[in-house]
Parts: sequence; structure tokens; C-alpha cells
Amino acid sequence: MGNSLTSLRLKSVRNLVILIIVWEIVGRMDWIAGGALPGLSEILTRLWIDRGDYPGHIWATVYASGLGFLIGNVLAIAAGIAFVLSPTLLRLMRGVNIAIFALPPIAIAPILVLTLSGMAPRVTLAALGVYFVTMSATVIGLSQYDTRSADLVRAYGGGNWLILKLVRIRGAIPDILSGLRIAAPNAVLGAILAEFGGGGRWGLGTYLLGSLGRGDPARLWGIGLVATLIAGLSYAIFAVISSRISGSTRSVTLNTAIPSSHGENAYGRSIQALILCGTITLPFVLWWAFIKLTGVPDLIAKTPHGVFEYLFLNDTSAIARGKLLAALGQTLPIAALGMIAGLAFAFLLAISSRMFPGFIKGFMPVALVTQTMPLVALTPLLVLILGRGYSVTLWITISVTFFPAFVLLVQGIQRVPQSVLDLPRAYGASAWTEMRMVSIPAALPYLFAATRLTVPRALLGVMIAEWLATGTGLGNLLNRSRGYLDYGMIWTVAAVSVLLSVAIYYLVLIVERRTLVRLGMQNVE
Amino acid sequence: MPRQPAGISLRSVGKTYRGRGKTVEALKDMNLECAPGSFTALIGPSGCGKSTAMRVALGLEGFDSGEVLISGQTPGQATAGGVTGVAFQDAALLPWRSVAKNVALPLEVLGRDVSKFSAEIAQLIDLVGLKGYENALPGELSGGMRQRVSIARSLITSPEVLFMDEPFGALDQIRRRQMNVELQRIWSETKSTALLVTHGIDEAIFLADQVVVMHADPGRVVDIIDVPFARPRHPDLFSNPEFHALTDRIAKVLHGE
Ligand SMILES: Nc1ncnc2c1ncn2[C@@H]1O[C@H](COP(=O)(O)OP(=O)(O)OP(=O)(O)O)[C@@H](O)[C@H]1O
Ligand SMILES: [Mg+2]
Repeated sequence: MGNSLTSLRLKSVRNLVILIIVWEIVGRMDWIAGGALPGLSEILTRLWIDRGDYPGHIWATVYASGLGFLIGNVLAIAAGIAFVLSPTLLRLMRGVNIAIFALPPIAIAPILVLTLSGMAPRVTLAALGVYFVTMSATVIGLSQYDTRSADLVRAYGGGNWLILKLVRIRGAIPDILSGLRIAAPNAVLGAILAEFGGGGRWGLGTYLLGSLGRGDPARLWGIGLVATLIAGLSYAIFAVISSRISGSTRSVTLNTAIPSSHGENAYGRSIQALILCGTITLPFVLWWAFIKLTGVPDLIAKTPHGVFEYLFLNDTSAIARGKLLAALGQTLPIAALGMIAGLAFAFLLAISSRMFPGFIKGFMPVALVTQTMPLVALTPLLVLILGRGYSVTLWITISVTFFPAFVLLVQGIQRVPQSVLDLPRAYGASAWTEMRMVSIPAALPYLFAATRLTVPRALLGVMIAEWLATGTGLGNLLNRSRGYLDYGMIWTVAAVSVLLSVAIYYLVLIVERRTLVRLGMQNVE
Repeated sequence: MPRQPAGISLRSVGKTYRGRGKTVEALKDMNLECAPGSFTALIGPSGCGKSTAMRVALGLEGFDSGEVLISGQTPGQATAGGVTGVAFQDAALLPWRSVAKNVALPLEVLGRDVSKFSAEIAQLIDLVGLKGYENALPGELSGGMRQRVSIARSLITSPEVLFMDEPFGALDQIRRRQMNVELQRIWSETKSTALLVTHGIDEAIFLADQVVVMHADPGRVVDIIDVPFARPRHPDLFSNPEFHALTDRIAKVLHGE
């Protein structure tokens, strides 16, 4: 074991060294797209020359993402606890939760810049980026507790609150920490995106935006590397903390009882309908309240009603609708194509992972690192390499869906006990039979989960590419509308992109339920 | 008939689990009377409702009909008042708490000042033979040691009524015998009313004043056998002919002969 681990480490180091050497040669020779990929030494030299610029920008980004991370997580954990204590509240807030999960940060950034001032848009976008991940990790962690320990507390007259305090919260800490780990890079991405869309003098996003026109690839790569480093470090900090802590929290024996979610069917039809109404209207109520609370004039800040007016009641409505539909016509096909390609690739690779485990072992760390890369900082680099055509959009979409889907699928297959995986082999099954009987059924539920989870990312990827590179679709519409001060359109694009990803999410969910029920499988959250 | 304040009293208790499609009549017209300070063993085939009866008596599970009284109180009043102590089949220790802190858990639930009980905690840990392991985490103990922690925990509140659901299920035969002897000693010192759910007939006879036999479908009491042996009982009893005769008699009832 120790030996194979060291040899794995050695191999990784060797691969890294080879990669850097190839990178250096390719970069020095200007082989890729006429110097779009500079050598590592050139990037580092540029970083050294620019060293005076970085501290201010880094500090601004770290400050905004740190504050947003803190605020977002405090809210998320409090919400998670409240949801677990009151399933009714969870159901009421489902619409809001899904909307926050689904909102492509790039579409929200201009709105936040319009309605808030100073650091607030950056902090808010960072907080929004962490909320959903941490909240759902908290709910999952608090829900999967040892029912026998809870019985014990109850046997001494303890109620729900004491069970929460003595059993569930401490038991949920590993889950919450792994939530924080995944959320941390999201905060950095959120802060950079808001910097990108909203003026100000400091921040890596601002720096990147200012450097776009200078035609200096080494500078862009430098900023991309620094942003990735910050996001990666924030991930690593929580990875270390959680591996330190989770040593003592694993349950000593396996608990087989799943805690029942009380109250799912405790109400009559009419009350259930009422809750559903609340679920759907609440996001719109919050949107409306947000505008009223910030006190921004109607001209700039559109309420749900304002957006409706803009799209259907004004003189210019027909033109606005035309622009929107044209943009959707450009964005959706490419987003769908990229997603399907990314997911299919991830699925194929994951189900065949049992055939070449060595490759997967080496590849997983790479996949994990890409998860932490701030997309917005990388897009300009891809544009440098791939140009401004559709291929850049497609590649970005494929990569943002492929990596998370792959990680999820592999982890799903890894949950199947080795003995189950080995069983067909023991009866002399061929590799294909084994795959058909075990790997594919094991991975299928995770494929659906991955599809649902990557919809907003795919939309975000396409829109960033459109904004920065191709000048088409929703991303471009958003960018142009900012220039023309077409506030109605900014709000419309934001609302439509959120609604769209919620709609696709539910569409996948319905297909998923049907399919899995027919195959007699369970869906995963 | 004047009602006596019995230790544990279940009268014509009915309890049906309603699952998806099928219903299980876990208890039907279940009667159980345990005199204060007595030791009762509850025995029966797997799935006959032993655990259900205990969970009903602890207020962990509601019931459909009948009456349940613990020291003259409802289960809810009794548990919240610290009258009861409980040890489950699984030790159910919190993995992040030390042995001493796990033993102290019921005190915390009942809102008592844990710091005032440090002497009792140490004494109980010593009693179950775990002296020196006060600060160990459950993950560092063997299955049998964890079980003993859970016994110590069930005694920390000096309960009037003690419930045990197969507390020695995870132990080997020799350890089990040792723990039986230990439990008898501990119980005779505490003077509590004890209800022990078990699968071992010899264990039931060795420890109990009365052995209550249950059958399944629906879960009900089919026989109550008094155990005549004088206390304190010596481990030699396990090889006593009268002991074997009683074991055979209970086995017959258990298997429905
Ligand atoms: N939560 C539950 N929901 C539905 N049915 C249950 C539940 N708990 C127990 N049962 C059913 O009630 C019956 C009695 O179960 P119980 O756990 O009391 O048996 P037991 O006598 O303790 O068995 P064992 O000796 O195996 O522990 C069984 O048929 C069981 O399937
Ligand atoms: Mg049982």
C-alpha cells in the first residue's frame, strides 16, 4: 500500500515535470495560435514585472470573497438547521433554494451592480455562490444521523432540540466541512464575476478586464494562474480541516435505519396546494422585496411586474421579445450540445473506469483541480487559443459539464461495494457483461444527478464565452444591454436564464423519476 | 381491585404498524406486570414484538389501545422525570464523545449538572470494568467494551426502572456469563425494577424473577414462568439440574409445544 502510494506520487511528479517541460517548449516556440500559450517562464517573468499591481487586486478579491463566504455560509447553515427542524419551511423555500442554485452568476452580476454599491455586489455574489452548496450539505448531514443515538436521547425525555444539539449537529460537521470545501472556490468565482461586471478600481476581475485589450497573453495567463491559486488554496484549507476532523466522527457501527422525513404527507390536499403556491411565489416576492428594500428607482430596478411590462405591454415589447428569442436561439442549442457531449464523455469514461483503474487514479486529481478554477479567468485564455468562433463556446461548455459529472459518476460507482463489482467476474462474465450488469446501473442515477447539477454551469459557461468571445446569444445581449442602459433587458435576461435553468432542472427530474422507477432504482440528491 | 403502583405495567396494549400496503400487528392485548424491585426477562422468537413492547414502555413509540404505566406515571412523564434508564441492543455511543462523556449523556438530556456527578461516573466506569478508559473514544474500544459503557450509561441516573434490550447481544459466551453475574450484582445494589429483553433462556433464568414468553403474529404474551432460585445466584447455577429442567420447560413454551 505504502509502496504503491509512493510510486503513484512519483508518477504524478514525473507527469507534472513532463507537462511543464512540454508547456515551456510549446510556449517558447509559439506553436499554439501564434503565441497564445506563452511558456511558463514567460508567464512567471511577466508576473514578476507586474508584482506591484497584484497585492491590491488580490486583496480586494480575497476580501470580497472571504466576506461573502462568511455571510453566505452563516445564512446557509442557519437555513439548513431551520429546514431540518421544519420540513414545511423546507418545502416553502424549495423554490427560492432552486432559484439560487440555478442562477447563473454572470446574469445576476449586472443586476447587483445596478442595485447595490461599493463592495456589496461582490460580497453578495460570493455569498450567493456558497449558499446552496453549504445549505444542502447541512441538510444532508443533519438528516443522516444515527437513529439509535436519537432514540437514546428521547428515552430520557429529550426532544427534537436536544437531539439536534447532542447528536445531529456534531454528526453533521464532516458533511458541512465538505460543503465548505466545495463552496470556497465558488466564492472566489462570484467575487471575480462581480468585479468583472461592475467597475471599481481593484480586484483580479477588474485587472483581467483592463488587460484584455492589451494583447499580452502572458499577463492574462498570470492573472488566471493567480486566481486559480487563490481558489485552489481556499479549497485545500477546508480539505485539510475536514480530513483532520472526520477521523473521529465516523459512526462506530453501521446504522441501517434511514430517518423518516416527518410531515411530508401530514397535511390535507388544500394545505399542500397552499404550500405549493407559496413555494412558487416566494422567489418572486423576495425579488420584489429586494428592490423595495434597496430603494433603487423603478427605471433601473425592475420588479417581476416591471419585467412583464417590458416584455409584453410596452411599445417596444415586440422588439425586445425578438431580441430575446434570437439570443435564446443562439445560446440554447450550443449549451445543449456542449452538455450532452460533456455528459456522454464523462459517462463513458466513468463506466469503463474499472477497465483501466490506473488512468482514473491519475486523472481524478486533475478533474478535482479543474473544479476549483475560476471559469471567468480561464475563458480569455481559451479564447486566445481557440479564437472567437463557436468552438470556444462548445469547449467551455463541454469542460464545465464534463469534470463535475465525471467526479460525481466515479464517486457513485465507487460507492458500490467491491464484492458486488466482483460478483459477475466470479461467474466468468466478460468485461462487457460486467459493465452492463453492474457499472452502468450503478452509474445511471448519478448521470441524472450530474445532468441536473450541471445545467446552471453549462448556461454560465456559454454566457461567459458569449460575453467575452463570440459576441452572440444571451451573454452578448446582457453585455450590450449594459452598454445601452437597457435596464429592462438586463432584468429580463437574468429572470429568463434563472427560469430556464429551473425548468430544465425539473424536466430532467421528471425524466429521471420515470426512468429510474421503471428500472427500479433510487434517485440521488 | 385496588391499583398498585407497579414498576412496569402494560395492560391490554395493542400496537399496529401501518406500512406501505401491509400492516403488522406488533402487539395484541399485551399484558405485562413487573412488581417494583423485581427483575423480568422478556423472551420470544425474533420479530415477536419484544423491542416494540419496550419502546412503547419508554414512550419512543405510541400505541393504539390499552394503558401503559411506569412507576404509576405515563411513559412521557417517567422518562422526562429521570425515572427510567435504558440500554439498547446496539451500544449506540456517540463516536465523538469519550467514554466518560457518553456515560454522562443522560444527565445532560435531563438537564442535570454533570460536574456534580463526576464521582458517580468514575464509580460506574469502574463497576463495568473499564477503569482507565474514561477518556477513550468508542472507536478505540472492542464491541464488548462498548456494550459495557452503555450499561454504565443506563445506570448513571440511578433509575427506578431499568430497560435493557439484548444488552449482551454482541458478547461471546464467556463474557456474557461474566456480565450476567455483574448485572445481577449491580441490579441488587440499585434495587431498581428491571426489564431485560433477551434471546438466551439461560440468561433469562439466571437473572430474572419471572420469565415472560412471547409469540409472534400477533405479538402477545403466551406464558409467565416464575423462577424460584434464591438470590444471590452463583454461576454454579448454570450447571444445576433444576436449572436445566426449567430451561427445557421454557424452551417448550417458546417453540409452541
Ligand atoms: N418501525 C416499524 N415499522 C413497521 N414495522 C415494524 C417497525 N418496527 C418493528 N416492526 C415490526 O413489528 C414486529 C415486531 O418487531 P420487534 O422489533 O418488536 O421484534 P423483536 O421481538 O424485538 O425482534 P428481535 O428479537 O429480532 O429484535 C416485526 O414484525 C417488525 O417487522
Ligand atoms: Mg428487538
